Amino acid sequence: MSQSLRPYLQAVRSSLTAALTISNFASQTSERHNCPEVEANSSPEILLNPLHISRNENEKVKIEPSYNSVRISIRIKQADEIEHILVHKFTRFLTQRAESFFILRRKPVEGYDISFLITNFHTEKMLTHKLIDFVIEFMEEVDKEISEMKLFLNARARFVAESFLTPFD
Amino acid sequence: MAAPQVHHLFHAPIADHSFSSDKKTLAVARENNVELYQQSGNKFALSDELKGHEKTVTSVDIAPNSGRIVTCSQDVHSIDRNAYVWEQTPTGWKPTLVLLRINRAATFVRWSPSEQKFAVGSGARVIAVCYFEEENDWWISKHLKKPIRSTITTLAWHPNSVLLAAGSTDSHARVFSSFIKGIDTRPEPSAWGERLPFNTICGEYLNDTAGWIQGVAFSPSGNALAFTGHDSSVTVVYPSAPEQPPRAMLNIATRLLPLNSLIWNGETEIIAAGHDCEPFRFHGDENGWQLAGSLENKAGEARGAREESALNMFRQMDLKGQAQADTKLKSTHQNTVHTIRAHEEANGVVSSFSTSGVDGRVVIWNA
Amino acid sequence: MSQINYRTINIDALDPESSANFPMESLLPATLPQAASASDAANAAAQVRQMLRGGDPEGALRTVLDTAPLGGDDRAKEVHLATVIDVLQGIRQGEMTRILEGVCSGDGGAERADCLMKYLYKGMSSAAPGSGTQTPKKPVSPQDTGFSQIQARNLGEGGGGQQMSVLLSWHERLVEIAGTGSIVRVMTDRRTV
Repeated sequence: MSQSLRPYLQAVRSSLTAALTISNFASQTSERHNCPEVEANSSPEILLNPLHISRNENEKVKIEPSYNSVRISIRIKQADEIEHILVHKFTRFLTQRAESFFILRRKPVEGYDISFLITNFHTEKMLTHKLIDFVIEFMEEVDKEISEMKLFLNARARFVAESFLTPFD
Repeated sequence: MAAPQVHHLFHAPIADHSFSSDKKTLAVARENNVELYQQSGNKFALSDELKGHEKTVTSVDIAPNSGRIVTCSQDVHSIDRNAYVWEQTPTGWKPTLVLLRINRAATFVRWSPSEQKFAVGSGARVIAVCYFEEENDWWISKHLKKPIRSTITTLAWHPNSVLLAAGSTDSHARVFSSFIKGIDTRPEPSAWGERLPFNTICGEYLNDTAGWIQGVAFSPSGNALAFTGHDSSVTVVYPSAPEQPPRAMLNIATRLLPLNSLIWNGETEIIAAGHDCEPFRFHGDENGWQLAGSLENKAGEARGAREESALNMFRQMDLKGQAQADTKLKSTHQNTVHTIRAHEEANGVVSSFSTSGVDGRVVIWNA
Repeated sequence: MSQINYRTINIDALDPESSANFPMESLLPATLPQAASASDAANAAAQVRQMLRGGDPEGALRTVLDTAPLGGDDRAKEVHLATVIDVLQGIRQGEMTRILEGVCSGDGGAERADCLMKYLYKGMSSAAPGSGTQTPKKPVSPQDTGFSQIQARNLGEGGGGQQMSVLLSWHERLVEIAGTGSIVRVMTDRRTV
């Protein structure tokens, strides 16, 4: 566990706690609509200043709050090409199944690898602090997952190479 | 201090709640309907449903004397459907349409203390002040329009039934005159204004830190206005004289999450609740206000009811930056509190108040 | 003229009454200080650095937060941000809490805490280059060499990690003192730093 991971997650947690103070809001631009304002982006006063939390250039979180919804975008650590490919595959796997993830956004915000969209309907049905736990857990799990996959891939590559080279022994 | 009375009605958000004057009937806004609960023993049981709205009901208010219920919702129809006045008849509750003439969601409704009028806040950047016209047998409305720039989120009446405070997502709290000839009696001149034709702006306030206004309230005397915004602060304004800057405008920036609703308890105390799921008390006067603390009695609850291994605890702290993982909040409300109302009061002093929130609970607290 | 595709015109943007054209300047309070220029910010920076060298980090932090160019132009804000980050980096871990308690108490302490919180978030957003757009991937070796991993070991932490960890530990300490309310005010306050 790296030194700066704990304050990073702590900062994300407190920022999310502050941002997830959302409530029901009917659209003031189109009648009979009730849509996530952060996505509709139709009235500037309904959006708040976005928050950025970064651990370094490659790991950062952007939180875009609005009256009834919050968009959370995560940039996952990618140190090399393999990790880049793995992250891409992994996030693609998740986003293609976005319906069953409720808060997952189908498409990440530009510059980030994966985005969540939490609306007031989610915070009404689910406990806010548990939603935050989920995001935090996701952030640490995904790092672990990626490095595990990378190790696995390397082990496999070594094995394949070995079996290819056996005839030359 | 006696424990608060908790009524867990259902698992759905309560947008607003209102008690009848005898405290036996409770109206709550649940999704597209308003449900009426009758007290039986120390419980509240569902007795009636007011159906008619097609979208989320945002607000409900029972007039204390006439017993009439006014409701409003997010739906907009070719004929106006977003507010109803319900009257009890021998055959049940009978709705009367209100001609609001707004084309966006209605967000908030309150009877004036005189019960002759009610005001509806809306997303159409207007406040509809509604009154009954005998000859047409119809509730009609007049619009307070300028200078509202965004959705109205909350309203509060001055005791004189003419002045109306409104909070909006344009971060301003305003005081309007809603004087309607033939309905209202000319109000006494006050620090807010002397002559008050309809749509006079008696005050317009903005916090330094902006933030959408979520709750407003006049003090019992009507000579001070408190409002709370999404910047986690409570502001109290003491007007000096008409057209003059206020005598004092005191902002209490808290370390809490935003507060959604507030009430006065006498002239020197404010009770507010919001996203922290518990009510807080503020004390002060013209010279300064401060947060006095939570009304939640947490001391009695022993911490760490669940035994956890030290390893697990440290792992939680290390991995997630949290000391304890549990799914139940320590507060009485388990989710955001939306509305706080005085339950029993005499001469402006509140002896008990009620809160309702997203968790489907209505809680009655001793102030 | 005939080439304009009328279907793609955003008519809301043309309607002054539309909520898309909300006057954001109406959210700024009347007490907003006069716009500061970059040279004002540079003067403040010199003064603050002097205090820092003189062994008064608490005073330096206090001054730098009190002179924040809330109404300044972007250039002045950039200069001032650099000063704030210098001050924050110039204070040792062990002293953070003591200094913060000093700075966040007394007259205007709450405003200073909110202001510092704004700078922490701004520091984290701007120091990571291209926070809004995807930065092009670092020049990595072509896939077929097989050396990418060996090189990548050094890149693991990414750039700017040192500065970020300073900001993050300040953030943690500030939340302890000023609470989540302070973060909420960073979001709502339109007087950006």
